[in-house]
Amino acid sequence: MLEPEQLKAWLVKVARKDAQAFRALYDASSPKLFGFALRILHKRELAEEVLQESFVSIWNNAATYQSSLAAPMTWMSTIVRNKAFDALRKTDQAVEIDNDSFDPAVMEALESSDPTPIEALQLSDDSKALAHCFARLEGLHRQAIALAFFHDLSHSEVAGQMKLPIGTVKTWVRRGLARLKTCLSPVEQA
Amino acid sequence: MNIQHNESLRDKLASEYVLGTLIGGARRRLETWMKGDAALRRAVAEWQDRLVPMVEFATAVQPPPSIWSSISKRLDLQSPAKRKLAYWLSLRDDLSFWRGLGMVSTTAALIFLSVLMTRPAVNLPVTSFVAMLNDDNAQLIAVATGDAVKNQMTIKVVQPRVLAADKSLELWAITKDGKVRSVGLIDEQGSYLVALGDTTSPDVAPILAVTLEPKGGSGDPNKATGPILYKGAWVKI
Repeated sequence: MLEPEQLKAWLVKVARKDAQAFRALYDASSPKLFGFALRILHKRELAEEVLQESFVSIWNNAATYQSSLAAPMTWMSTIVRNKAFDALRKTDQAVEIDNDSFDPAVMEALESSDPTPIEALQLSDDSKALAHCFARLEGLHRQAIALAFFHDLSHSEVAGQMKLPIGTVKTWVRRGLARLKTCLSPVEQA
Repeated sequence: MNIQHNESLRDKLASEYVLGTLIGGARRRLETWMKGDAALRRAVAEWQDRLVPMVEFATAVQPPPSIWSSISKRLDLQSPAKRKLAYWLSLRDDLSFWRGLGMVSTTAALIFLSVLMTRPAVNLPVTSFVAMLNDDNAQLIAVATGDAVKNQMTIKVVQPRVLAADKSLELWAITKDGKVRSVGLIDEQGSYLVALGDTTSPDVAPILAVTLEPKGGSGDPNKATGPILYKGAWVKI
């Protein structure tokens, strides 16, 4: 499921305009990317448009993908995220923001003190590693980081959403990110 | 603000840039710094690899089929001419990879040649080109030797495979600009001497491919209908 080596191989072929590889790449990654766009935008037609624009961009820019700089899923997700945030800024209507950005099964696995539920999730290895580290954060720190990541919120907007002073949110985000970095470092994982 | 020598500040800014909490002027400044600062770009890329997998924490949703149709229409992926060309061109692109392996293949080819030569049944031409035909798993299936003077080739299947009764194997020569020409049908085992034409000689058509076709071949000498089973590039020796 979303093997980075396989995705990379498809991207290399897509750079050579291989339509079959593009289709395989789309089939493998679009449910995750569409789910993510929906989470940001909440409106189906907006998310559909963003997914379409993103894959057109992936086809046109595959040759610039540098495997040394980012994992293939990271590269594609970043394209979707940027396009979704652009669409978010353009839309006049206020988009609903809820405090639970994660899938219920992911949420439950993060709250569990047992690492098994995370292993059972349908996630790539990178994503599982992040989940293990997220599970070690305090719930509110996790929520502040997720709000910013999924909804393009600044510190003050996160503070407004969580009804907390901005200083508190800044501290939590900073500490949360520092802990994630330590937790994800190769030394810590070894 | 000088961030040049402040490692922890650089890392903090990179992390908040990726998270999205770095906004306005601070965000634009960081983007400007990134242009001339490879280490900063690397710090941002590292934070992307750390945080972006969060994407998968959202519930996956199968997109409706209409989205793929729109993408495919916009990029003109359905156009048969485009698809066919891309297919053969990708084979041509593989050439540079094969050239990288040139020395290895040539050595291997010479070993096989000596094997071929010890078999008296094979009527071996003067060899000037060798091609190793591999399947998708890099398994050697057949060895071809080309004689540019007599414009003929010998192909020997070294890894026989079982073929359904209603299928044939067809050998193709592919030119530098991706044009496909039938060389003829081959059996799943044995070795043959095949005459080459002006459009199928190793100089003009540097790639060989074998496709799976209906019994009797594709019926069109310029177009394969089935999948490529194995392929290889000519190496001059």
